[in-house]
Amino acid sequence: MIIVTGASRGLGRALSERLTAKGFEVLGLARNASETPFECLSCDVSSYESVKDVVKQVKARRVEVTGLVNAAGIAQMNLVIAMTSESVRRIIETNLLGTINCCQLVAPLMLRQKSGCIINFSTIAVPLSLKGESVYIASKAGVEGFTRSFAREMSDFGIRVNCLAPGPIDTDLIRGVTAKQIKEIVSRQVIQKQFGADSVSDLTELLFDPRSYSISGQVLHVGGI
Amino acid sequence: MNTYETLSEDIIELIIELLEDKSLEVSLETQLIGDEGILDSMMLVELCLALEDKALEMGFEFDWTSEATLSRSRSMFRTLGSLTNEFIAQFSSSE
Repeated sequence: MIIVTGASRGLGRALSERLTAKGFEVLGLARNASETPFECLSCDVSSYESVKDVVKQVKARRVEVTGLVNAAGIAQMNLVIAMTSESVRRIIETNLLGTINCCQLVAPLMLRQKSGCIINFSTIAVPLSLKGESVYIASKAGVEGFTRSFAREMSDFGIRVNCLAPGPIDTDLIRGVTAKQIKEIVSRQVIQKQFGADSVSDLTELLFDPRSYSISGQVLHVGGI
Repeated sequence: MNTYETLSEDIIELIIELLEDKSLEVSLETQLIGDEGILDSMMLVELCLALEDKALEMGFEFDWTSEATLSRSRSMFRTLGSLTNEFIAQFSSSE
């Protein structure tokens, strides 16, 4: 079973659908579990107790958990001085703490089989230090650092941990980004093209492929940086 | 032997299996984690998995992913005694 957070919409939904289509058993998690072609449970990743509750349900099923995709994320494109403290807190709690909560509680389900693949999500906005995204970037830079260190911690248990960092993908997350800004971001990638959820799904599949056994602790920028 | 003694003996056995130095004396007061702890984090995880197995044999689920697992002041892994107490408490509350 592969657990995917943020699975009800956006990138998480697209990844879950792709993995399901490829024959993986997917358990989606979302704050508002909607109708999906895969099983989806309600879970607020920013809440340790909420994640723990889901993990308890998964444990009771006695299924082998082989993967975790931390796709849940929120953004608000705004100057930090114009943001409410509540918005700042929500972004950090969902993006960074949510990723840590899920890794901390789901990884133990993989320890026994001494194998597993965890994929976290960052953004190309981190190396580009984009204006108006400082809190979002802070949360994702935290995810990158966490990924690198957590990968070392999990290495002895055969669990690989990597991070995908896409550019602007056409989802709700970049609703506030103008076409001009997207063009500017894309022009700074190695491959100057706007990639879609399909490209991220391809990379996700690649990381789940057993032939990726030697890749861990890496941040892969979609399109290159 | 009562349940406490039997279980602490069992847990000592599990711990000794993990230790490189098998001659190390392990008592109820032995610190498991922290500055003078005898287990590193890798051994601690291995011990948790072994305790999960032991709990399953006894018909309950051992939860070691609690907030306080690694807290030096509150952790169940402070000493062998505190670990045994927690293990028994979880067993009793499952009955």
